[in-house]
Amino acid sequence: MDIIQLTNVSHYYKTYDEEGNSSKVVGVENVSLSIKQGQFVALVGHNGCGKSTLAKLLNGLLLPDTGKVEVFGMDTADRSKIFEIRKNVGMVFQNPDNQMVESIVEDDVAFGPENLGIPQAEIVERVQTALQQVGMADFAKRTAHKLSGGQKQRIAIAGALAIRPNVLVLDESTAMLDPLGRKEVLGVAKQLNQSGMTVVLITHFMEEVLDADLVVVMNEGHVAKTGTPMEIFNDEQLLAEVGLQAPRAVQLAKKLHKAGWDVDSNCTDATQLGGKVCQLLRKN
Amino acid sequence: MFRDVTFGQYYPSNSFVHKMDARVKLLLCILFMVGIFFVTSFVGFLWVTLFLALAIGFSKVPLKSILKSVKGIVVLLVLTALLNVFFTKTGNLLVDWWIFQIYDDGLIYAGKMFLRLVYLVVGSSLLTLTTTPVDLTHGMESLLKPLRIIKFPAHELALIMSLTLSFIPSLIEETDRIIRAQKARGADFDTGGLVQRAKAFVPILIPLLVSGFRRAEELANAMNSRCYEGSTHRTKMRVQKLGWRDAVGISVVVVVFSAIFVVHATKGAWSNLVPWLYF
Ligand SMILES: Nc1ncnc2c1ncn2[C@@H]1O[C@H](COP(=O)(O)OP(=O)(O)OP(=O)(O)O)[C@@H](O)[C@H]1O
Ligand SMILES: [Mg+2]
Repeated sequence: MDIIQLTNVSHYYKTYDEEGNSSKVVGVENVSLSIKQGQFVALVGHNGCGKSTLAKLLNGLLLPDTGKVEVFGMDTADRSKIFEIRKNVGMVFQNPDNQMVESIVEDDVAFGPENLGIPQAEIVERVQTALQQVGMADFAKRTAHKLSGGQKQRIAIAGALAIRPNVLVLDESTAMLDPLGRKEVLGVAKQLNQSGMTVVLITHFMEEVLDADLVVVMNEGHVAKTGTPMEIFNDEQLLAEVGLQAPRAVQLAKKLHKAGWDVDSNCTDATQLGGKVCQLLRKN
Repeated sequence: MFRDVTFGQYYPSNSFVHKMDARVKLLLCILFMVGIFFVTSFVGFLWVTLFLALAIGFSKVPLKSILKSVKGIVVLLVLTALLNVFFTKTGNLLVDWWIFQIYDDGLIYAGKMFLRLVYLVVGSSLLTLTTTPVDLTHGMESLLKPLRIIKFPAHELALIMSLTLSFIPSLIEETDRIIRAQKARGADFDTGGLVQRAKAFVPILIPLLVSGFRRAEELANAMNSRCYEGSTHRTKMRVQKLGWRDAVGISVVVVVFSAIFVVHATKGAWSNLVPWLYF
C-alpha cells in the first residue's frame, strides 16, 4: 500500500540579491514518488539537489507550490490535518544540537507526546519504550548536550518515536557523526525498519543505501532514477552524471570481475569481498 | 572563553535538595535573595554561611561547581569592593596616601557587599545546580499560571527560557569556534584601542547572528515536526508534588530569615543591649 504519494511536486525558494531583487531557486521540481508501508527508502544526491526540501514536504513543513503530497490519503496542504500528518511522519534532522528542545534526555523525548496532550502515565511509558528502542534507556536522566553525537542523534530518534509515527524520515542524520556514531544510528534505523517502520533515509554516504529496498537518486531538484541499490550501482552513466560513486567494495568487485577475476560483480560486502580475494590469491 | 559560567548547568544527583519541589526552591531562592539584603551584620552573615553550608551539604553538589559560578563574577566582585573601599568617607581614617583615603567603614562595607554578592550567586547557582532547567521552567510556569487570567503567556515564556538555557552551551561553543576561525585568518582581538577592539568583534557577531538564525530555524522545524502547537491541550510528563522535604526546607529557611528580619527590624532598639549582634 502506498502510504506517501507525491504527484508532480515542485517547490521553489525565493532569494534576494544585494539590490533586493527576488529570484526563484529550485528546491524540487516535478517530483513524483510513492513510498510503501514497511519500505526502507534511501534518498541520495549531492549537496543542494533538494533532498531536505523533499523531506520537509513529507510532513508539511514545506508545502508544494504545484502538485500534491499525500500522506495516508491526507493532503499536506490541508492545514486541519497537519497534526495528524506529523503524528504519522516523524522526522530527525542533521544537527543533533539543534533539535533538542529540553536539556534532560527524558524530557526531550517527552516533548512530542506532551504536545499531543497524552495522559501523563502514558507519556512515561512511551518515553521508556522509545528510549529502549534506540538502546538509550540507561541515559534517561542524563544531560543531553554532554552525550556523544551518535547518542544525541539516537535521542532525537527516540523523540520522534515517542510520537509513534508510521514513517521515520532521517534527513542526513548521520552526516555529522563519526563512523561509530554513524553505525549506531544506522543500526537503529535498520532495526526499526525490521520491526515494521517505514524508513526514509537521506544520506550522501553510498554505503548506507546498500540495504535499502528502494533508492531514489536526486539531481538538481529532479528524481534522476529510482531502483534497487544494485540497479543504481550498475548504472555508471547515471552515477557519473549526478556526481555520486558506488560504495568502494562494490566498485572494487566490479573492477575485479571485469579484469577476469572470479568475483561476484554484485558483491556489496567488503568483508566478504576481502575473504574472496584472499582465497583467490592463495589459490594462485 | 566563557566556559566557567555554571549558570543553568544542572548537577545530577539524588540529594535532599534535588528532590525538593522546584516551585518551593524557586520561592525560597527569591526569599533568600531578598533576605540577604537585610543582613547587615557579620553575625548575620555567619548565620547565612551556616545555612548555605547546610544547604550545600544536603545538596551533595561539590563546592568546586559552586565556586566556579562565583569565578564568573570575579570582576564584578573586585570592582564593587574597590568602589566601596575608596569611596566610603566615614569612620576612622586608616590609610591616607596621595589621592587615596581608606576608612575602616569602607573596608567593612566592602566586606559585606562582597559577601552579599558571593552569597547571591552561591544561592542562585545552588538553585540551578540542583534543579533541572526543565523543572525550573516548569516551576516558574506553574507559579505564573494564575496570571493566565490576564492572558499572560506563562507556558510560552517558560519554553523560551528553557530553550535559551539549552542553547547557551552550543552558542558558547559556536562563539569559541568563530573566534578561533577568525584568529586563524589573522584577526586581532587583543591589541589596539577600545574602538578598534570593539570593531574586531564585528566579524564574530555577524557569523554568530547568522548561525543563530539558522539554529532557530532548524529548531523550529524540529519542534513543528514533533507536533508543537503552543500551550493548547498540552500535557506534562513531570508531576509536581510537595513532599516532606519541602516542608523541612521551608521551615529552615523561614526560621533563618525570620531571625534575620527580626534582627534587622530591631536594629535601633537592641543595638545597645547586644551590640555584637549588629556588628
Ligand atoms: N531557505 C532557503 N532559501 C533559499 N534557498 C534555499 C533554501 N533552502 C534550500 N535552498 C536551495 O534549494 C536547493 C535545495 O536545497 P536542499 O536543502 O533541499 O538540498 P539538499 O539536497 O538537502 O542539500 P544538502 O546535501 O546540502 O543538505 C539548494 O539549491 C538550496 O540552495
Ligand atoms: Mg539537506
